[in-house]
Amino acid sequence: MAGSNEIKVNESKKVVPLNTWILISNFKLAYNMLRRPDGTFNRDLAEFLDRKVPPNTVPVDGVFSFDVVDRSTSLLNRIYRPSPSPETAADPQFGIIDLQNPLSTTEIVPVIIFFHGGSFAHSSANSAIYDTFCRRLVSICKAVVVSVNYRRSPENCYPSAYDDGWAALKWVHSRPWLRSGKDSKVFVYLAGDSSGGNIAHHVAHRAAESGVEVLGNILLHPMFGGQDRTESEKKLDGKYFVTIQDRDWYWRAYLPKGEDRDHPACNPFGPRGISLKGLTFPKSLVVVAGLDLVQDWQLAYVEGLKNAGQEVKLLFLKQATIGFYFLPNNDHFYSLMEEINSFVNPNC
Amino acid sequence: MDLYRSGSSSSCAGKAPDQIDGLLAGAGYRVRSSELRNVAQRLERLETVMVNAPSEISHLADEVVLHNPSDLASWVDSLLSELNQPVPVPDLSDLTYAESLDPTVNTGAWMEHHTAEQHREIPQVLTAVEEDSCIQLVHVLMTCAGSVQRGEFSLARALIDEMQGLLTRVNNRCGIGKVAGYFIDALSRRLFSPQGSGLIGSAYENEILYHHFYEASPYLKFAHFTANQAILEAFDGHDCVHVIDFNLMQGLQWPALIQALALRSGGPPLLRLTGIGPPSSDGRDSLREIGLRLAELAHSVNVQFAFRGVAASRLEDVKPWMLQVGPKEAVAINFIMQLHRLLVSAPTRGSPIEAVLGWIRNLNPKVMIVVEQEANHNQPEFLDRFTEALHYYSTTFDSLETCSTQPDKALAEIYIQREICNIVCCEGLARVERHEPLAKWRSRLRGAGFKPLHLGSNAFKQASMLLTLFSAEGYCVEEDGGCLTLGWHSRPLIAASAWQAIPEPNPPLGLVDPYNNVV
Repeated sequence: MAGSNEIKVNESKKVVPLNTWILISNFKLAYNMLRRPDGTFNRDLAEFLDRKVPPNTVPVDGVFSFDVVDRSTSLLNRIYRPSPSPETAADPQFGIIDLQNPLSTTEIVPVIIFFHGGSFAHSSANSAIYDTFCRRLVSICKAVVVSVNYRRSPENCYPSAYDDGWAALKWVHSRPWLRSGKDSKVFVYLAGDSSGGNIAHHVAHRAAESGVEVLGNILLHPMFGGQDRTESEKKLDGKYFVTIQDRDWYWRAYLPKGEDRDHPACNPFGPRGISLKGLTFPKSLVVVAGLDLVQDWQLAYVEGLKNAGQEVKLLFLKQATIGFYFLPNNDHFYSLMEEINSFVNPNC
Repeated sequence: MDLYRSGSSSSCAGKAPDQIDGLLAGAGYRVRSSELRNVAQRLERLETVMVNAPSEISHLADEVVLHNPSDLASWVDSLLSELNQPVPVPDLSDLTYAESLDPTVNTGAWMEHHTAEQHREIPQVLTAVEEDSCIQLVHVLMTCAGSVQRGEFSLARALIDEMQGLLTRVNNRCGIGKVAGYFIDALSRRLFSPQGSGLIGSAYENEILYHHFYEASPYLKFAHFTANQAILEAFDGHDCVHVIDFNLMQGLQWPALIQALALRSGGPPLLRLTGIGPPSSDGRDSLREIGLRLAELAHSVNVQFAFRGVAASRLEDVKPWMLQVGPKEAVAINFIMQLHRLLVSAPTRGSPIEAVLGWIRNLNPKVMIVVEQEANHNQPEFLDRFTEALHYYSTTFDSLETCSTQPDKALAEIYIQREICNIVCCEGLARVERHEPLAKWRSRLRGAGFKPLHLGSNAFKQASMLLTLFSAEGYCVEEDGGCLTLGWHSRPLIAASAWQAIPEPNPPLGLVDPYNNVV
C-alpha cells in the first residue's frame, strides 16, 4: 500500500472526458465530507449540496414531468412522459396533466420504474443528474419513466428502500393512466443504477414471488458485495473514483446493525442467498463498467441468474467508469441507450 | 439510430470558451468551458489536501462557508482556502480541448501536461532546500517577466512550466511561495488570455472583497481614521459641511465621522455626503442603500444629514455640477486608493487627472485627502513594474499572515490578487492600478496648485494607538514630512496626506461659479 503522504496516481483522468471527470470527482470529494467515521451522515449538508431541479409540465425537448405523492406511503414519484406530438393529440394542452386516459389504446408504451443511485444514502428523484438521465431515457426509448424517491440510509436502513420500491411497483400497476396497448395494462420494467440496481433486483424478486408482473430488469452497475475481497476490488481500489472503504461505509449504513456483507440484500447469490430457480423472474439486462471495482460481484450476479435458469444479458463496457451515463459525451452512453431501447421495445 | 446524437440540449460541440459547459449545466453545475482545466486542477489539489488532512474534513463539513455549490470553481476555492491552500496556477498550455462528442478524439489529451503534478507530496518544512527553491523561484519569475517584456513568449511559457514545478518544492502556505503563485498566475493570464483583461468582478463582488480586506488588515482602517481626523479638523468652526467621497464602497469610513461630528463641542454641523461609485448592474441602487443606512445613523445621533449618490463608471466622468456644492459649504474631498485611477491616459482623452484636479481646485475645498498605495507600479517598463509589485505584495502578504479570521483572510488575498493581476496583466485603459509613491504625488499635486497640510502629531499618536488596539506586531506608523505612512516592518505600504488649494494669484473678476463645467 502507498505511504500516507503519497498521492496515488490518478488514472481516472485518462479514461473519461474532462467534464465527466470534474462531475464525478466533485461528487467523490463532497461525499467524503458527508460520511462521518462514526457511521452518521451529514444530511443537511448533503441536501444543500445536491443540485435539484423542479419538474416541468410544459415540455422541454419533448419531455415533460410532474411529481405525484402516493398518499398511502407518502412516497414521492416523479413521472416523465414524452410530450404528445402535434399530429396525434387533438388539442395538446401543455401544463395540464391527464390522469385519466391511458397512455395509448393501440401502442404499447413501456413504463420504466427507475431507482436512482447514490449507494442508498445520496441523491433524490429530483437530483439534477438523475432528472436529466430520466429525461434522456424517455426521449430515446419513447417510454414513460417513474423515478422513485425512496427513503435513504443511514436514517432508513434495510429494508426501507425495498419496501418503498415494492410500494412504487404496486402503485404504478394500479394507475389507469399508465396503461397502454390493446390489452390495456401497465407494461412495467424496473431499472436502477448502483444502489438503484440492487433495489430493482430485490423488488423484482418480491414481485416474482407475489405474482406481480415485471417485464424486465435493467441494472446499471448495480451495487452488490460480499465479505470476500475480490480481485477487482483489490486491483481497482481508489483508482477510478471509488474505494473499498467507502463501499464498506455505505453497506454498514444500509444493512441492519451487526450484519455483514454476506447478508442477502448485499450478496443475493452468496452463502446466505435465496435461490431463484423456478421463479418467473423478469429477463435482466446487467450493465457492468470495466473500471468499476465492484464488477466481480456484478459478474457473479449474472452467473447466479444464469445458474438459476433466468434470462440475462450482460453488457460489459470495458473502459467505462462508474457514472459514465451521466453525460452523453462518450461511446458507452450510446451503447447503453441502444441496449435499453431494444430491451424495452423488443418489437422495434 | 441517430435521433439522439443530433440532440439539442446535450450537444456541446465547438462552443466558444466563454460559454458554460452545457453538459455540466444539465447536472446542475455552472462552469465555463475555458475554466474546465482550471477547476479540474483545483479538485485534484483539494483531494490531495483532504487525503493528507483527514481530521480537517469533518471541520470542513461542519463549519464550511456555504458558497453556491453550482458555481463549482468558487465552491472548490472556498474549500481550498478553508484549508489554507492558495489557488493553484492554471495550466493553460494547451488551449485546444477535445470535442467530447467525437469518440475518436483522445480524451486523455489533457493529461499530458500534468506530469509535474503526479506523485506530488505535500511539502514539509525543509529549510535548506526550500530557501534555495525560493531564491530560484524569484529568479525565474524575474527572468520570465523579462522575457514577457521582450516579447519572447515561448521562453516565457517554458519558464512558467518550470515555476510550477518549483512551486511544489516551496512552502506555499506563506511568504514568497504564496505570493509567487499569484504572480505566476498573473503572468499566465497575460500570456494566454486573449483579452488580457485580468480579473474583472462585478461591483457587488468588489464590495465584498473590499469589506473582507478591510476586516483582515489595518490598512483601510488606518486610511479612514487618518482621513476623518484631518476632515474633522478642517471642518472646525463650520456649520455647513460637505464631504465628497470618490469611492463610497460600503461607506465604512463615515459612521465614525458622523459620530465624531455629533460629539463636537458647539454641536454638530449640517452634514452633506456625496458618494461616488460605479453604477450597479443588477438593479440594486447600492449607493442609495448605503446613503439610507448612513442617514439612519446620523438621525440616531441628531446630526442633520443629507446624502447624494453619483454613479459614474470612470472618475473623470464626474463633473462638478453633479455635486451641487453650495456657496457657503466647507468642502472635504476624499480619495482613498482612488486618485491613481485618473493616471490612465490615452491620446484622445487628454489628462484626466489634470482635468479633475483642476475643477476640484476651483471648488476650494477646506481639505483634500489623498491615501495611496506607497509603491511605484506605474513605471513605463513592464519589468520594473513587475519587480516593484513582487516586493510590494510580498510584504503585503506577509502582513496578512497575522490575520487569523476566515473568510476575511482568504477574501482579502483575492482582493489583493486582483490588484496584482491588473498591474501584471493589463495595459492601457484597462490598467487602472497605477500606484505612485508619495514623492511623486507631492510634486504632482504641487504642480496642480495644491499645498500640503501637516497631519499633525495628534494624528500620528492616535494612528499608533489604533494599531496597538487592532493589529498585530509588525505594523508601524511613520511620519514623513507631514504625511503618515503605515507599513510592515519598516516598509511603508500606505501613505496618507492632506492638501489644500493654493488660492489663484490673480483671480478673475467676480467669484468663480462652482456650477460651471470647468475644464
